[in-house]
Amino acid sequence: MTRGWIALVAICSAAACRRPPQPGEPLRGLSAAERARFDSGKVVFDSAFTPEKGLGPLFNGRACASCHEDPVSGGVGEEVEHHATAFHPGGPGRACDELAALGGPVFQDSVTPLLRAALGIEKEPVPPQATAIAERTSPDIFGRGLLDAVPDSEILKYADPDDRNGDGISGRPNRFLDGRLGRFGRKAFVPTLREFNDGAFLAEIGITSPSVPDEGTVAGKPLPAGTDPAPDPELSAHSLELTDAFVRLLAPPAPLKQSSEAHRGSEIFAQVGCAGCHVPKLRTGDNPIPALRHQEVAAYSDLLLHDMGPELADICFGLATPNEFRTEPLMGLRLAKHFLHDGRAKTPEQAIQMHAGEGARARDLFDSLPPADRAALVAFLKTL
Amino acid sequence: MHRVTLLSLASLIAPLALAAQRPPTPPPAAQPTAPHDSVRGAIRAVDARARTLEVTTGVGYALRVVRLQVPASVPITDRKGGSQGAPIKLAELKPGDVIRAAFGGRATGFVAYTIERVGRMESTP
Repeated sequence: MTRGWIALVAICSAAACRRPPQPGEPLRGLSAAERARFDSGKVVFDSAFTPEKGLGPLFNGRACASCHEDPVSGGVGEEVEHHATAFHPGGPGRACDELAALGGPVFQDSVTPLLRAALGIEKEPVPPQATAIAERTSPDIFGRGLLDAVPDSEILKYADPDDRNGDGISGRPNRFLDGRLGRFGRKAFVPTLREFNDGAFLAEIGITSPSVPDEGTVAGKPLPAGTDPAPDPELSAHSLELTDAFVRLLAPPAPLKQSSEAHRGSEIFAQVGCAGCHVPKLRTGDNPIPALRHQEVAAYSDLLLHDMGPELADICFGLATPNEFRTEPLMGLRLAKHFLHDGRAKTPEQAIQMHAGEGARARDLFDSLPPADRAALVAFLKTL
Repeated sequence: MHRVTLLSLASLIAPLALAAQRPPTPPPAAQPTAPHDSVRGAIRAVDARARTLEVTTGVGYALRVVRLQVPASVPITDRKGGSQGAPIKLAELKPGDVIRAAFGGRATGFVAYTIERVGRMESTP
């Protein structure tokens, strides 16, 4: 009897080890030290800031987990925030002005009581120079460490800016302000996960750090005296590194087991051309973290910009025109409650039908499918 | 008493000797202070007549604009596309050029010490 129990426990333990990561769990194969950093980083990620601890004076959320929360820390959020830029194609300057001198591109929707008392505002005003204001939902951030570990060369091999292969798809890379390849954010503006995380502390929570040591402005004007009493930096380099470790080591949710219908849907996904932009697999390169090194990641994205047509267009960002968006990674899609960059689509079917521009051909082919095939494709998407 | 006199003499001479070892300090206004910061980013605006430059830079979505005064003596070089650093004029810099600049703070604002054009913000730089 005892021997039987031991065998049963061993089998269950082995099964648990093989169980694919669930949302919020770390990558498999971490060292004890990496796992400890992941756990400590989650504490910072979940920590809510107060004005006394540095919150604001402008902010969108009080914690990382305020917006990345469902079903667990790192997941999606209901919040919608606002970005604004100015697009002037054909002018003497850069076509896109991220309005950095006027508080942009993120215009925060909340203020601390001290800033409200000083300026009488409820949010950061968007300056009249903005040519567009965009709504942005909070995506899940599972598996983003793997996307960070994909070499530039892997992304650039899918670029076809002049559509030389004539498939109607012409992905092109975005660039950060210093010329590096961008990949994070809905417009693929930010080159690395670390920079995205470090910048988000200031842009989203109003927290200064050694990486971003100065508070921003209120629409380009300095903060009124006394509205930011916490001494800078408001977050230590150590806490910044731990938060980065948590985000970096979050595993992508493993795709669900496919039914025969979903399996057929995966084939239709490729046949109608979705995979032209939603590239099913990218490969990571060398990396100091073994769990991120030379891994296949089911990104379903090429991380490049594509013209999605005028209906979806909103802001420019870096080299991205208002029409252009980065191919949204579909890993973890089943966790999403809203779809597309601003959540305007309530179902995956609606999202497909709102594709235009370079996505128009695949959309039209989807629309022309028999109902059973359309259902199969959607069933496949719901396994991701 | 003799020991006290020697110690007193040493304490008088030591600061003088130390001061003599230091290099002479030029007047603060004339000293080009050591670069206290550097920036790498995309040029937002150039005003060759006013000799000013605006550079957009930042971390992630936390962006800022650095405004620089560019005295005529500031070396501006071109390393774009692997160039060897040929001298160029301020007026040759264009919005969208990626530059690296060393600068310091003065009472009048930030002043550039060196500027290098290292590329251009393009899909294929």
